Amino acid sequence: MALENISGRIAWIFPDEDFDVDQIVGVKNIKITDIEELAAQAMKDYDPTFAQQVRPGDVLVGGVNFGYGHPHYPPLRAMRHLGIRALIAESFSPGFWRGEMSMGFPMVACPGILKVAKRWEPLTINWARQQVVLASGTTLPFLPLASADLSMLEHGGLTGYLKHRASGTTA
Amino acid sequence: MGFTITEKILARVAQRPAVRAGDEVLARPDFVIAYDFPGYTDVIFKQMKDDFGIDRVTDPKRFALFIDHMVPVATPKEEELHIQTRQWGAQQGVPVYERKGIGHQVSAELGYATPGAFAVHFDGHISQLGAFGTLAIGLRRNLLEAFVNDTVSLRVPATVRVNLHGELRHGVMARDVFHHIVRVMGPASCAFKVLELGGPVIDAMSIEGRQTLCGQAMFVGATTAIVNPDQKAIAYARDRARIQLDPVSSDADAVYERVVDIDISALEPIVVIPPSPARTRDLTDFIGLPIHAGYLGSCASGRMEDLRAAAQVLRGRQVAPGVSLHIVPTSQAIMSQAAAEGLIQVFSDSGAFVSSPSCDYCFGRIGTMTAGQRAVSTGTLNVPGRMGSTDSEIYICNAAVVAASAVAGSIADPRPLLAASAA
Repeated sequence: MALENISGRIAWIFPDEDFDVDQIVGVKNIKITDIEELAAQAMKDYDPTFAQQVRPGDVLVGGVNFGYGHPHYPPLRAMRHLGIRALIAESFSPGFWRGEMSMGFPMVACPGILKVAKRWEPLTINWARQQVVLASGTTLPFLPLASADLSMLEHGGLTGYLKHRASGTTA
Repeated sequence: MGFTITEKILARVAQRPAVRAGDEVLARPDFVIAYDFPGYTDVIFKQMKDDFGIDRVTDPKRFALFIDHMVPVATPKEEELHIQTRQWGAQQGVPVYERKGIGHQVSAELGYATPGAFAVHFDGHISQLGAFGTLAIGLRRNLLEAFVNDTVSLRVPATVRVNLHGELRHGVMARDVFHHIVRVMGPASCAFKVLELGGPVIDAMSIEGRQTLCGQAMFVGATTAIVNPDQKAIAYARDRARIQLDPVSSDADAVYERVVDIDISALEPIVVIPPSPARTRDLTDFIGLPIHAGYLGSCASGRMEDLRAAAQVLRGRQVAPGVSLHIVPTSQAIMSQAAAEGLIQVFSDSGAFVSSPSCDYCFGRIGTMTAGQRAVSTGTLNVPGRMGSTDSEIYICNAAVVAASAVAGSIADPRPLLAASAA
């Protein structure tokens, strides 16, 4: 099974180094479990109109060491609920990467993305070519994913990946 | 070219003659460790059965469960989680260690920190087993893989070798050294890599100090941290070891991604200020900042040398009115040792609240702060809301700084008090 390329608009850019994802919903709201309630809190401190503007298939862009600190799952759950399909960052904090990868959430580390990304610009993540292709024509390579991570994305996350492993076929 | 200790350990558990950084392997953990926590162990137990139809783990002796969070319980629901853990352990033949202390420390006491072993957990602070030359990795939810398969999928991490030179000044502790490494190298400097620590400072450092350093590896982005086992580490681990393994060490010509030399001779005590573990500052710039709470404990700090340093500060002194000082030895064994040395009496006489071991102070489940309050803490983390209200603040520092600040009622330098006690 090959991964489908992801095409969407850049719904938001988080330029900060060491960005703490809990800020997305606000640390005070991190224990909310109801997804509608969480989504209603998401991005309120950044752009109160975010939920109205975002479209299914849109993506996020982040800076260096995205997800540092003590990342919780609710912020990205909220983002996915709003339609966010992928995250492209300069680099990732490993704990965050592992956690969201196990949720089957597509992420690529793409050095240089912050310099060229503009909000609402469409882009495509091309898995086969390992490139992020922006509407402006700029093309940036992303760091190759481990085959286990790719397989996790193909099978919708950790459980799907492990079921696939259990089925005996390789990767 | 030679191999790193990480490559050697992973080659063995991947059953390959050799592996190199970047290779993708299926590695069989020697130990699978977890503490019970909602969303982790309960989900793993359920998924094992419901999603994978697996009734029993293979080789239950490889597994270890700890009950160290929600100790003591405060709600019936928490007790139900522990009951489920005890029952699951009994049914599986998997040992459940309850109220022995914080699992990452007790793992070492019970011999899971075997030099040369490969251990996995969901929690990244398990990296502290690296103090004994054990490769210990926190997998977050991917720990499920170790419950439903014999092996876990890994990309062999590259290694950043850090050599620490010089001698620690009086009043400077392992905790300061770690945060200094974050300051010098940066919070992403070892992302997805292993932090291998060595050099004269590590050689001279106690096992406890090495546990402190290795346990915080995630804050330089590292997958884990490790120290090549020396006589000191082997002497501690050998008689406790649960499996017989030959210790391994990095070759002199091992291939490192980077080698960094750091001199700590001029290092002064530090504080890590809110809201992130990346914000390391000099203690002296924050002297006098009022505090409401102090916490000495956690898997990172709360061992004998931390308790001894705090006792040296607190002996014959009183915690300031209005300050809650919680002192929580990391394990029961450590608590007993502290009692035998008379430290518990010193703490009690000073007005500190001394608790049996528990993880709960570190994440604000108890000793919880309200908005506007500020703590000095040896806990692992200072993100907003970690110890209560998201509008409270945590300043991370070494154990002596916590004690001195509790006496002063504001952030204080322990060195004059340590000197006075020594005189």
